[in-house]
Amino acid sequence: MVDLVWFQLLSAALFAIGIYGVMARRSAVLIVMSIELMLNAVNINLIAAASHMEGIGSFANFDGQLIAIFIITVAAAEVGLALAIILRMFRNKSTVNVDEIDLMKW
Amino acid sequence: MQWAWLIPVFCFAAAPVIVVFGRYLPERGSWLSILAIAGGFVVFWFVLNSWLNADVATMGCFISENSGMLTCDYDRSWFNAGVIGAVGSVSLHWGILIDPLTIVMLGLVTFVALMVQIYSMVYMEGDPRFGWYFAVHSMFAAAMLTLVLADNFLLLYIAWELVGICSYLLIGFWHERPEPREAAKKAFIVTRIGDVGLLIGILLIWRDVGSFGMTDAFEAVRVGVMTHGQEGMSQGVATAAALLLFLGAMGKSAQVPFHVWLPDAMEGPTPVSALIHAATMVVAGVYLVARTYPIFSAYDADPLLIVAIVGLVTALMAASIALVSTDLKRILAYSTISHLGLMMLSLGAFGYTAAIFHLMAHGFSKALLFLGAGSVLHSTEFQDTGEMGGLRKVMPLTALVFSIGALSLGGIPILAGFWSKDEILLAVSDNRNTAFLVMALFTALLSALYMGRAMFIVFFGDLKEKNNHAHESPIGMTMPMALLGVLALGFGLISFNWPGDFGGIGTFVFFGHGEEFHFEVWLGAVSIVLAVGAFIFAYLTYAKRSIDLDYARSRFSWILNVIENKYYFDEVYQWTIDRVVLGISGFIAYFDRAIVNDIIVNGPADVAREVGIKMRLHITGHVYAYVLGMALGTIGLSIFVWLRTV
Repeated sequence: MVDLVWFQLLSAALFAIGIYGVMARRSAVLIVMSIELMLNAVNINLIAAASHMEGIGSFANFDGQLIAIFIITVAAAEVGLALAIILRMFRNKSTVNVDEIDLMKW
Repeated sequence: MQWAWLIPVFCFAAAPVIVVFGRYLPERGSWLSILAIAGGFVVFWFVLNSWLNADVATMGCFISENSGMLTCDYDRSWFNAGVIGAVGSVSLHWGILIDPLTIVMLGLVTFVALMVQIYSMVYMEGDPRFGWYFAVHSMFAAAMLTLVLADNFLLLYIAWELVGICSYLLIGFWHERPEPREAAKKAFIVTRIGDVGLLIGILLIWRDVGSFGMTDAFEAVRVGVMTHGQEGMSQGVATAAALLLFLGAMGKSAQVPFHVWLPDAMEGPTPVSALIHAATMVVAGVYLVARTYPIFSAYDADPLLIVAIVGLVTALMAASIALVSTDLKRILAYSTISHLGLMMLSLGAFGYTAAIFHLMAHGFSKALLFLGAGSVLHSTEFQDTGEMGGLRKVMPLTALVFSIGALSLGGIPILAGFWSKDEILLAVSDNRNTAFLVMALFTALLSALYMGRAMFIVFFGDLKEKNNHAHESPIGMTMPMALLGVLALGFGLISFNWPGDFGGIGTFVFFGHGEEFHFEVWLGAVSIVLAVGAFIFAYLTYAKRSIDLDYARSRFSWILNVIENKYYFDEVYQWTIDRVVLGISGFIAYFDRAIVNDIIVNGPADVAREVGIKMRLHITGHVYAYVLGMALGTIGLSIFVWLRTV
């Protein structure tokens, strides 16, 4: 069995890429994609940890998988919402560049 | 007797009705007020009758352990302070306490108020606020009646303050002119100073007894005396409470040094003065001391010595000012202060009956004198005695009743004031030392002198040219005066030991045990000689003008100067207020503005605004900046947690 630390390294790398994407990208769509990347990094971490956990009696421990499924569900909803917002934004301002979207700035 | 609470309720009901609907009623609803007080007067007779027929078997009645009088107490639950049944919650009761003291006060207040209101119908005719005058009058009487009926200190205090506010409204009735405004404020503020003492005293009793009920408080005092302070109210508390209550009584009853408001209260309409001086307001203080007498006379009765001294000083000082005053109403005002001092002196000399008897005799006489003075002012438009003279020729009836009042207060035998003053002198000679008696006699002499002076200057001598138009007042004014005159003339008769059951007022209103009428011949003789001598002297000086006082005036001009300036009380107070009170107020106002407003209230707001101005410069609207902040924050927190766990 592959050691847990390799999974965690992979997860950390994906998460870092995600953060970098959110910070460096100007396009709202790409920022959403980067957020997805971070969410999935967390999923990998959770599932790897779960598969390395001791089961209770004859049952395997599914806590990690359960939370991962929750996250996938929430992420799907979130993407739908985010894309809808981005669509409205594009209709109004003809751009999805987040630097130009500063209505709330004082 | 349970229905005695109706007496004030009539008047309480009349006041708002007159205010709201008065303009639609004939005579602006003034007859409603008269009807209410007349109803109260009728109920008073029923109360008196049922008290006379009552004994300890009657519901709610018992022989008071303190005063020995048959007392009836009817109370109902009022409200709960706190959650019902919880620790520290207090259930308060209100109710009425009826004993002879209450009954005589009820009779005095309802009768004098009725007379004054009938008189006012004519006197105040044509005034733009005619209805309002009667509404406040009603409220005033109602408050005073509640005050004398109250069986607990809280209700008494409420009524006490209501009396104060009504007197404020009536003294300042003609508030278009500045003097009544100032006088009203002065009356209210000066009496308030005493009221603070009263409130603290009531709270002190409540703290010690756990109840506002008067009978509870008196019982606690009695138990305290019996157990030598082991249980019940201790001597220290009783003395402190008595002195604080007396402070309130001093304010209301215009005792030195709180007497300054009463002469200024003359700015109100004259019938109001009659009411204030005779039945309501000023007698409230005397009533309070009489009502709480068990607290005053408990243990060594030390507070009573102070009561006696304050009363004596007040009586002497006010009598001397009344002697030199030239304004008719002011003479009467200072005379009231002086007689209130005599009542206090009497209470302080264990002369409970004498004080209440004098309160009533003085009440009738003084109401009569003020109504007479009002009649004079109504017809001559003058208030200064120098402008009057010989008025008996044009207004004989007024002259007659005024003279009865003056002779009664001056202490001429067979009139009411003589008997009551004699009782006071007797009490003083029995229970206080000779110095008190000598000064009390001197006050009696002065009292006869200034009464004679007022009477002879105004009604005797030659009629002045400018007063030729003066005329006798209409029947609406003379009738109440005549009725009061009959009482001032014959009220003294109730002091005697009549054949039958009635043993004189001493067996009706008393404290401890009833005393039948007795008369000390030498004291009576001295007081008669003084009074008659004073009146003859006044007659020769002011009516005949055969005695010239100019030499004495110039010889003792400095004393005269001091007295004419009313012993500089007003000046001293003015100086104190200007220098001390306003100085402290200025500092407090500065503290309020600089510290409370600018620092405590506005300070946090200013800080928040400054911080906001600085902070919003960092809100750039760039998403990556926020994300970087979040990431760095998360990393920082992680390192922090990691360091904590390692």
